[in-house]
Formats: sequence, C-alpha cells, structure tokens
Amino acid sequence: MRRAMAVLLFAIVTPGGSLFGAIVDFDRDVAPLLVRRCLGCHTGAEAKGGLDLSRRESAGAGGESGPVLAPGKLDESLLWEYVESNEMPPKKPLTAEEKETLKAWIVSGARWGTSPIDALRVTTDVRAGRDWWSLQPVSRPMPPALSSGGWGWNAIDGFISQRLEREGLALSTPSDRRVLIRRLAFDLLGLPPSPEEVEAFVADGREDAYERLVDRYLASPQYGVRWARLWLDLARFGESNGFEFDEFRDQAWPYRDWVVNALNRDLPYDQFARLQIAGDVLDSDDAGAIEATGFLVAGAYDSVGQNQFSQAMRKVVREDELEDLVGTVGQTFLGLTVHCARCHDHKFDPIKQTEYYQLSAALSGVRQGIRDLTELDPKVRAEKRAIKEVEAKLSAIEAPVLALLAKQEGRTAARRPPEPLARWEFEKGLEDRVGSLNARLQGGASLGRDGLRVGVKGGYAGSAPLDRDLGARTLEAWVQLDGIDQRGGGVISLQTVDGGMFDGIIFAEKESRQWMSGSEGFVRWRSFEGTEETEADKRVVHVAIVYDLDGTITAYRDGKPYGKAYRSSGLQTYRAGQAQVLFGLRHATADGNRVLSGRIVRARLYDRALTSEEVSASEEAGGRFTPEAVAALLDPSAKGEHARLLKEIETRRGSISKQTRRVHAVSPREPDSSHVLIRGNPTQLGAVVAAGGVASLEGLEADFGLSSEAPEAKRRERLASWLTDPRNPLFARVMVNRIWQAHFGTGLVENSSDLGFNGGIPSHPELLDWLASELMATGWSLKGLHRLILTSGAYRQSSTGNAKAIKVDAADRWLWRKAPRRLEAEMVRDAMLAVSGALNPRMGGAGFRDFSLSKAPGTTAILYAPIDAAGPDTDRRTLYRTWVRGGRSGFLDAFDCPDPSTTAPRRPVTTTPLQALALLNNALSLRLAERFGERLRGDAGNDPGSMVERAYRLAFGRPPDVLERVNAEKVVVEFGPAVLARAIFNSNEFLYVD
Amino acid sequence: MHRREFLSWVQNGLSSAAAAGLLLRDGALKAAAPNESDPSRPHFAPKAKRAIHICLVGALSHVDSFDYKPGLIASHGKSLNSSEKPDVFFGQVGKLRAPDWGFQRRGASGLWMSDLFPNVAEVADELTVINSMFAETSNHTPATFQENSGFRLNGFPSMGAWLSYGLGSEADDLPSFVVIPDAREFPAGGAINWSNGFLPARHQGVVIRSKGDPIDDLFPARPIGRAADRAAFSLSAEMNRRHLASHFDDDALSARMRGYELAARMQIAVPEVANLNGETAESTRLYGLDRPETADFGRACLVARRLLERGVRFVQLFAGGTFGSPRRNWDGHENLKQNHGDEALRVDKPVAALLKDLRRRGLLDDTLVLFTTEFGRTPFTQAGADVVGNGRDHNQYGFSVWLAGAGLKHGVAYGSTDEIGWKAAENPVHWHDFHATVLHLLGIDHERLTYYHNGIKRRLTNVHGKVIKEIIA
Repeated sequence: MRRAMAVLLFAIVTPGGSLFGAIVDFDRDVAPLLVRRCLGCHTGAEAKGGLDLSRRESAGAGGESGPVLAPGKLDESLLWEYVESNEMPPKKPLTAEEKETLKAWIVSGARWGTSPIDALRVTTDVRAGRDWWSLQPVSRPMPPALSSGGWGWNAIDGFISQRLEREGLALSTPSDRRVLIRRLAFDLLGLPPSPEEVEAFVADGREDAYERLVDRYLASPQYGVRWARLWLDLARFGESNGFEFDEFRDQAWPYRDWVVNALNRDLPYDQFARLQIAGDVLDSDDAGAIEATGFLVAGAYDSVGQNQFSQAMRKVVREDELEDLVGTVGQTFLGLTVHCARCHDHKFDPIKQTEYYQLSAALSGVRQGIRDLTELDPKVRAEKRAIKEVEAKLSAIEAPVLALLAKQEGRTAARRPPEPLARWEFEKGLEDRVGSLNARLQGGASLGRDGLRVGVKGGYAGSAPLDRDLGARTLEAWVQLDGIDQRGGGVISLQTVDGGMFDGIIFAEKESRQWMSGSEGFVRWRSFEGTEETEADKRVVHVAIVYDLDGTITAYRDGKPYGKAYRSSGLQTYRAGQAQVLFGLRHATADGNRVLSGRIVRARLYDRALTSEEVSASEEAGGRFTPEAVAALLDPSAKGEHARLLKEIETRRGSISKQTRRVHAVSPREPDSSHVLIRGNPTQLGAVVAAGGVASLEGLEADFGLSSEAPEAKRRERLASWLTDPRNPLFARVMVNRIWQAHFGTGLVENSSDLGFNGGIPSHPELLDWLASELMATGWSLKGLHRLILTSGAYRQSSTGNAKAIKVDAADRWLWRKAPRRLEAEMVRDAMLAVSGALNPRMGGAGFRDFSLSKAPGTTAILYAPIDAAGPDTDRRTLYRTWVRGGRSGFLDAFDCPDPSTTAPRRPVTTTPLQALALLNNALSLRLAERFGERLRGDAGNDPGSMVERAYRLAFGRPPDVLERVNAEKVVVEFGPAVLARAIFNSNEFLYVD
Repeated sequence: MHRREFLSWVQNGLSSAAAAGLLLRDGALKAAAPNESDPSRPHFAPKAKRAIHICLVGALSHVDSFDYKPGLIASHGKSLNSSEKPDVFFGQVGKLRAPDWGFQRRGASGLWMSDLFPNVAEVADELTVINSMFAETSNHTPATFQENSGFRLNGFPSMGAWLSYGLGSEADDLPSFVVIPDAREFPAGGAINWSNGFLPARHQGVVIRSKGDPIDDLFPARPIGRAADRAAFSLSAEMNRRHLASHFDDDALSARMRGYELAARMQIAVPEVANLNGETAESTRLYGLDRPETADFGRACLVARRLLERGVRFVQLFAGGTFGSPRRNWDGHENLKQNHGDEALRVDKPVAALLKDLRRRGLLDDTLVLFTTEFGRTPFTQAGADVVGNGRDHNQYGFSVWLAGAGLKHGVAYGSTDEIGWKAAENPVHWHDFHATVLHLLGIDHERLTYYHNGIKRRLTNVHGKVIKEIIA
C-alpha cells in the first residue's frame, strides 16, 4: 500500500508520463496486482472472455472484444474502462490504490516485465503463493519476557502471555496436583494414575516433583503405546486390504511395534521419518528398518482391481493407489495436500501438477507385499551357511553314485536335486516319503505301476492336512495327459479344505493347451503366455510352479522356464490343519471340468521358492535320483555318514522355520517411466518426469538430481533426505504442531495436516517457529519437545472457566486455560481395564481380535463379525487391537475412533445416544464393571465404605466427599460394588480430564 | 433388560429433563468437532424429506430389465459389430444375446419394462427410469463404493452419512441413517459401504438386524436386575449433576447427560419400529412376508417404511450378499436367466409393495425411493467368440437405475444407450449427477454441502455433478 501511494503521488505531480517507467515496476507493482485480482479468471487456454493476462503476447492481443491495452492511452484501453467502472473484477472492484497503480502503468506505456507472470509468487485472496507463511524458513524468535504479575515456567509462557495480554486475558492459576497428575498420565501414557502414584505426587515436597514425574512418565514403555496411536491415525494403519476381499493382513503388526519402540527409545524424528520412507534402502540389513516401511503400505489395497483383466483399468487403480501414497506422505511430513495436484495445478497452494508427478515418481516403486526377514537373523544366516556346507559334503559322497545313475539314464551330468517338504512316488504307492502328507484315492482314481490314474469317474487323490503353515512354495509333478484338448483339470493343487482358496498347476482352464497357475476366481492368475502344449499326451512331461514371497509366480516345463513369470496380487499362506494337497483335481468339489484326465507319475512339494537352477536339477534328476536310490548304491562305509548328514539338514531346516519372521512392508519393484498424466488421465501421457520435490519450499532445492530412469531405491532415498532436510521449513513445524495439538486439543495451526492456504494461519506464529527451531536444535528429540511443552505454565494451568474469558475467547484459542478434554476411544477402554485391575500390560506381538473372521463361501472375501472377546490376551491395551477395515468396533466408534481407511490428523469429539448405550450395555463395559467390583472387594474387603473410598481413588484419583460417600455406599450395600463400578464408567468425571 | 423394566427405569430414573436433549435432531449435538461447519439445513425448499435407497449388489442387467433394446433382440446370435474390442472384466466377448424376459409397455405412461419385475411393472407409472448411467470402473466393490460415496476408494462418506451430516434426523429417538443388509450376508466390503469416512463417526450407518437385538448395545449384554440397573443409572446421573455443578457452563458435559435420556428413548423406539406384530395381515401379505422367497426382503422393506414414518432420514437396503459360489447376488456371469430370476423373485413383490404402501399412506409425496445397482451387464455374453453364452460380464458403460416419489416426473425414462444397450449414448449420467439430483430433491445444493478434510472442502459429488433438471417435476 505504501508503494501504491508513492505511485499515486508521483502521478499527480508529474502527469507527463515518460518517467513513469522507472517508477512503476511491472514485476514489483503490477504483476502481483494482476495475480491477486485478475488471473483467477483471465489465465491459460480457458481464460474468460478469451483474455489471458498472464503473458505479454496474449495480454497485448486482447480478448473476444479485441485489444484491451493501448499503451500510454488510458481512454483507449478497454481494460481501464472495465476497471474504472467497477465492472471488473465482478465481485469486488479494485481499490483506489490498485486503480492508481494500474492507471500509472498504462499511462507510462504498459511495459511488461517477466512473461508469463509468475502466478505462484504471491498470496492472494483465494490462494497461497510462495510467500505463504509456512513455506518460509523457520525463524528463531526471541521469547518475550513474562510481564510483571504474570506467571509461567518457561519460554513458551512468554509467547502465550504476550498474546493473552493483547486480548486483556491472562493464564489461569496453576492446577492442583491431583488434577495435574491425572492430566499428565492420560496425555503421556493414555492411562489413569494409580492411587499410590497420586498420593506420592501430592505428598512430594521437592521443588521439581512435577518435572520428575514428567521424566518418569516419558521413560515408561506405556508412553510409546499411547503416542503410537497418534502416528497410526496418520498412517491410515489397517490390518486388512479393504475393498472387495478385505483380505486379512496377519503380518502388519510389526510396523505398529516398530512405531511403539521407536518412540520409546526417542529415535530422532528425522530418522524416524527417513526409515518409514526408505528404511529398506538405508539399512537393508536391519529388520527394523524394513518394518518401518510398513508406513507406506498401511493403506487399503484393491487386490481385485490391481489384477483385473483390463490393463487400462489396472492402471487407473494403480494411479489411485499412488495418489493415496503421495497424499499420505505429503500430509504427514509436509502438511501439504500435494495430492490435490493430480489432475491440475493445486487450486490453493503453490504446487504444480508436475510436482505431484515428481513425488509420485519418487514413490512409484512402492508395492505392497510380504518381506521375509528371516534371512536377516544372524542365527538363520549361520544355519544356512552350515546347510550349504553339509550339502557340499553330501554332494561329494553322492557324486560317484549320481554319475552312475546319470549314465544309466543316458545323461551327461547330475546335480543333487533340492530337498522337498513332501515327495510322492506314485509308481510305488501313495505315501509321502518325507513327511506325513500321505495321499488317499477318491472316486474312480487308481494306482498302477505307471503312477496315479486320475479322471476316471471324477477320480483324484487328496493328501492329509498340512502340518505346518505354507507361504512361499514350489509345486512340481511329472504327468501325462489323456488328451491335450481337455480343459481345466488340476495336476497338483494346494487348497483350503473347503476348496474356497487354491493355487495349483492347472491345464488349459483359461486358454486352450496352456499350462497355468489356477486360483479361486482367477484372482492370482495371469497368462504365462507360454508355448502351446503338443506333447503331454504322448509322453510324461515335467511341470513346476514356483510361488515367491513377493507374489511372483514362475512356471517351468521340462526344467526350463515356461513363458513369462508375473507378479500376482500376493502370496497366500495356507495354514496348518486347514489346507491339503490335491492330485488330479483343481479344487473341491470334483465337478465341472475340474478333474484332470491322465496319470501322475510323481510329485514334489517344497516349502520355499526354488531357484531356476534347483528346478532344473530336479528335472534333470528325473525323479529317479531319490535319496533311497542313491543310498542303495552307496558304498556301505559311506551310508552312515550320508544318513547323518541328511538328518542334520533336516534339523537345521527345522530350526530355521522356527525363526521365520515375515512382515507386511514395502516390496519394491522397478517402475516404468513416470509421466505427467494430462488431467490425471492414465491414458493421456504428458512429459516424462524424474523423481523430485516441491519447489515452493524457500531455501530447499526440489531437484533430486536424478534422471527419470533412476532406480527406485535412489528415488526413495532422496525423497527421505529431502523431506527431513533441516532446511525444509514444513517438516519440523508440522510435527511440533501435531504434538501441541495432542496436548492441548487444538494445534497452533488448526488443521494439523494442512499448513497450506486452507489450513489457515497459526494462532502463535512465533511460538510455532521457536518450538520448531528447538526441535531441530535438540537433535529432533520428541521426548525433549514433550518435556518443554508439559513443563510450561500454559499446560499446567487450571481448566476452570471464567465468564469474562469465555466471553472473549470461548474456544480458548489464546490458551487462557487448559481446556478440559474427553478421553479418546482407546483411553476409555484402557482406563476401564486399568481401574478394574484387568489390564494385561504385555506389549508387542500379534494383536488381539474382537471379531471373528470367516470366509464367505466360494470366495476369497473375508467377513469380520464383532464378538465379545474376553480373556487376558484381549485385555491388553487397545492399541493392540487388530485394526481390520471391515471389522470396526462399535464401542470404539462410539467414541470417535476413525475409519482406518483414511488418514486422521485430528479426531472429532462427538456425543451421541449410541455412545451412552455402548457405555451402559456393551459386553465389555459390563464385564469390566463386574471385574472392578471384584477388585474392590479384594482390595477393600467387604466394608462398603472402604470399597467406595477405593473406587473413587482408583477411578478419579481423589477420595469421595461426604455426600458422595453416602450415596455410593447405599448402592454398594444394596446391590454390590459392580453397580457402583458401572455408574463410575458412565460418569463424566471418568471420561473427562480437567 | 426387558422392555417393561426399561420403561419403568425411564419413568423413575432420569425423567426430570426428558423434554430436553433433541440431541439427534437437526444436528443439535454438534459438539466441538473440527472441520464441521454449521448444520447445513436445507438450502432451499426440499421436495423430499427422507429417502430409501435399495442397492442391488452384483450388477443388474439393464438389457434384461429396464432398457428395452429391439436392436439387441434382432441381433441375437450375431457377433458384436464394432471396431472397438471390448475391454471387459473377464476378457471374453461372446455373441450377442437377446434379453431372457419379454418387454412390454406398462401402465398409463407406457414405460417399457421386462417381465423380470412383474410386480414393480404394475407401478411403472410411479417410476423415473434413467437408462443412460455409466460408471468409472467395472470392478464391483469400487463401483459400489462410488455408487454410495461418489468415490472409488475406501474412506469416503456414503450418501446416507452426508445426509445425516447435512440434515440431521427428523426423529430424536432413532438414528438418522439406518442400514438393513441382505438377510443372507453383508455386501462385499461390509461396513465400508456405509462408512462415515472422514465425517464424525456418528454419521455412520446404523445396522438394524432382523434377528436378536435390532441394534448393538440397545440392552445390557448380560442380565441385570431391574433395581440394580436403575441404581447404577441414578447414581451415575447424580455423579454427573455434581460434576457439572463444579464445571462452569460446559456444554459437552450437559450434552452427554442428555445423551443418556435419548438413549433411554431409543430403547423404546427401536424395538417398537422393528416389531412387525402390529402390522395388519393385509400389509404383511402385501410385502410377501407369507412366502419364503420374499419374506426376507419383504421384512426389510416393511421395517424401512416404519423407520421412514418415524422420522429416519435415510434407510439403505441391500439386495445381494458378497461375491462367490454359489451366487447370492446379481452377478450373473454363468447363467443370467437363473441368477436374475432367483434374485428378482426375492425383491420384486416387496419393492412393489413398498411403493404402493408409501403411496396410499401419502408418504410418497415427500419420500424419495432410489433403486440402483453399481453398473450394468454386457449385451454380448461371457463366452467364446463364436458362442451365445448363458451369462453376461460387467458393463460399466451403460446401465439403468430408477427413482420414485417426491419431486420427480413419473412414468418417464431419461437418456438412452446405443442400439444394443452397450454404452450410454443420449444424455449420459454419472453417479455425481445422480447424487447431485438426489441432494437437490432433498433441498440441498450439492456444491454447498461440504466438509473440510485434508486440504479440500470435500463434497459427495467431488468437483463435478449436474442436477438432472429434466426428470424433476
């Protein structure tokens, strides 16, 4: 404005004109005005009235009504005519100053500066520019001194008091100790303090009693359990896929444990973030670093959509998945809604569409999957090395025999075949020659000297149920078909005993004369595009299919790769006791075209994904170099050692399988090149983009220095370091604000995952920056930040309202009190468990389930039905619930537990009759009331007065007053302590923290 | 606890301020939920005050039901005549197949309908059919999510949740958004279909069951004596009164206390609405409760009518369970005639009964009935290229839905597909347009019903949607 006034004065003094060029600077004075007031409509190819004012040429050319600018000639400039008459801008005319600036510019010759105008430079009424507050470097303001008469403990209070004074307000008085310890315990641990803790704190005369308490709670492992919840809300952490099948993810919980542990050991926040983006790249030998990447893959996954027939639709689903990834990363770490720029430049923030695709390119190698961390275990590594050595010894012993056998077979060389989990020699019988998976004939199947005959009258064979879980695996068989025009029969399949889920070697179900890997509803099927089978009806062929941990399925025929391997929707694990092997049948039941017509000579099942070399060795052995055959031909002196070494391998394998550790984590795949997608449409490719960041962050380069073909590991590594760079002004601000929000209920910025235009401006900008700079200065210690906030007077002040302050600031934006808060859903349940004495403090491991899990008949879809689960495992803290998407908890939902499908930066607090019903009548609530009653009897004997006293101290951290005691005693005497317990659970004092 | 006991509890327990607490009504309970603007209230005079949404899960074949295609009948047994190779879900494009049910003009309006829904055909003059719908995906569950929430993904609020947020409830003793799933099974995606998404959890659909307690936690999960129950309640109320007295002017605390009063009223209202004993024999026969094939859906429709009468804003019925074998929804890949025949038998009579019943009670004047499915089915069969198969694959490019009731032109069909019913050709309608129209009829401007979430003022209609003026009376 001052600038505009200067122009105005000058215009009055010297109406000549030629000197104006030096005074009215287009880039400085006019361009921001145009951006602010005109370019909202008049820009780009679809500019209103055909007038594009963002470029020199188009502005000069004018719009549908012809030229709009006549340099130096105000009267002939249409633009001026519209502006002067207030016809434009239509809703809010230019101010007098703005008009003068424009006038002076036209009069002085309408000289253009930079073209096109940089529309993202300045903030306007409707959008943020690069000058938006949150994009500027973090400053280090000097904390204001406390005013005379004010009170406070640390620098935070200087900032808060200064702001309060401007409103004529002040901090409330300090809270008393009973209030303080209850507030602190819920905030840091999510649990109520025990009566003993309360009394000890009340009685603690030391000056730093409170600081000691803060430190003690920060050191408690329950701190991580409470604060992990906040992070999992952001991570949209769910333990099932969502969408149609909602498959259960039983290996997602290690990520939750990683978060708890990382918080407990105060892992520096920048490192905490980096590991979640690229832990597997940064520290590929550390199991924890791989578990950390669970963050990226914690969201929903459309397994049907990702594997549907149509490639075009698969691409749409993948782009949707990437939007979720970019959105979650952008909001969590940057507080920017980058995902809004998928189809066009961001409407409100200075983020270009290209930048969305740069971030998308950085994350485009991220895929959902199961990572096997077993190999990272030093014990497992040692076992594997030992097995290799034993195998070498065996090879040496067996070499002469293998050579002899090979010669008999007319072959040139022989390698040791791999050791299977189960092995069937159908020329000899139905037994499993390794383990206990013996087969049984079904229907018209028969056993002959040439193997197992299947297909006659629907005949097939089935094995006993598996005796262990089977994930990664290999199926292998030698088979001859009765005809090659048959369709759909299975050679060897693994199925759940109800036939609802299966994976098997199937002949020509989908495409004639093609081998394929079948599955229920073809969900893991894709064509191998192998060669057409022409021989299997004339001779025995060898077929094998390998199922790798990451979902890759590879086929072999006669020991050589058959067609192309592909990545399926994911590996299915078959459970011990619930699955079996089938021979000659695709999956139960034996009808339709599921039965194969032919004979199966022998078959193998391996509990791991064989390498191509191993498959080839097995084929080469032709099934004839069986351990028995080899042993029979061995020199008698070697037989004992041979048997011992075989046994040793078995033992070592067994010990490895006990160490198995698998986790739902990023299973990266090299991406295709990334393009800008025009209007977000996957079929309309724009320019190729390389991984990169957002350019608007002042002082931080957006270029990752990577080519568009850079390996995906590099991309995520660079993304991780760009996000956590100390020069990134958003990274620290966003986290500081989240922690403030969690302690006070409202952040210094209200929308904690959006520090852009729509998120608004901070209530205390200097405080926010001071805290952010403190976080960085103290090595990103989150515990340090907590300590700082919790020891402030602002946090310690009373929650009591006063009429004057409520009139000025009912929402407590300026923090004249510590506003009372309702417990979060998890805290409600945990507090009930804690006061009733039922809480099982065990941390970590697979979650408990408050739902039953069943499979809808004939499908992969999982149905989750709520159950009243009771028992010590269930009575763990609520964080250890299993958070499936299709099986939400009605009780927790009533207290605003968010939908795990969406990132939840802040939980609403609502009150409904359903909440009252849940607390009154839910099985959990009633069970724990009984338990609480029993505890009171146990703790206080049968004296009603003592029981009431104990109940009040446990639940509220204070003794009852006289009237309360009388009322409660009456109830206890007449109905027993469980009724008192139920009343307490439903009381506001139990649910609210002052 | 039994109802009788409960009644006395209400009378003796907390009746003091029973008139207060219109907690559910018109968003009066909007505590300090972040991002929540003032209750929207109707933006203009609503044509409809409430709606019932019947969702056919699995994809109804439009060419066998509401979309009459002489061109398809004439082309039976021929190959698809198109330069474009259809990109269908299961990849097989067999020969064209004529509908398996005959079509006739119905009622005074002469609306074309097949014999698949003979009872609904009797009330054809009530219907407003849209024959030019198209979807963004041919994958069932994302398509169903979009049908309900406007988005293909998990985590967005469904239409019922939006209406609960925007309009609140007409009743104060019943939830504003009620869901009655198919009696056989939940649809695929289960509760995700009626999620509140990012709206506060209280806008989530409340499931009413046909067996056991109609809704969760309505009564104590284990037996509790009447007197003990009352004692707990009174003691808790006393504790809360004292607590409130020591807390200056706290709305949230008093709101919670009112929540208990309303809970008590729900305990009476919900069993009452789910109890069909008071319905006349004529009424139960009309809805088909006397026949095993129609009893399930008939009961659902009848309960839905009772809910609407008592002020529930939005009732959603699902016809069809999840996907799998044997089929128990409309996903007729293998044998469409048998599949659709069986499924239609379950719903035809009850749906017709609902329309007739709402009409004679005068409710259809301010109630909206929606009958939709996630997408349509292909005019060609799912079979080898030279085969006229028995089943049809998913078709996202064209399908039919209908509306009935308040504010609509009745007995009309809007839009059309191409000659054989493959793709929407004239006046294509997206779900966003459909949702915008539904909101409009309920008095809401779809561009103004918003909720701030993660950087965007979210809408049911994303950034799209156009009210279909042509079907509005």
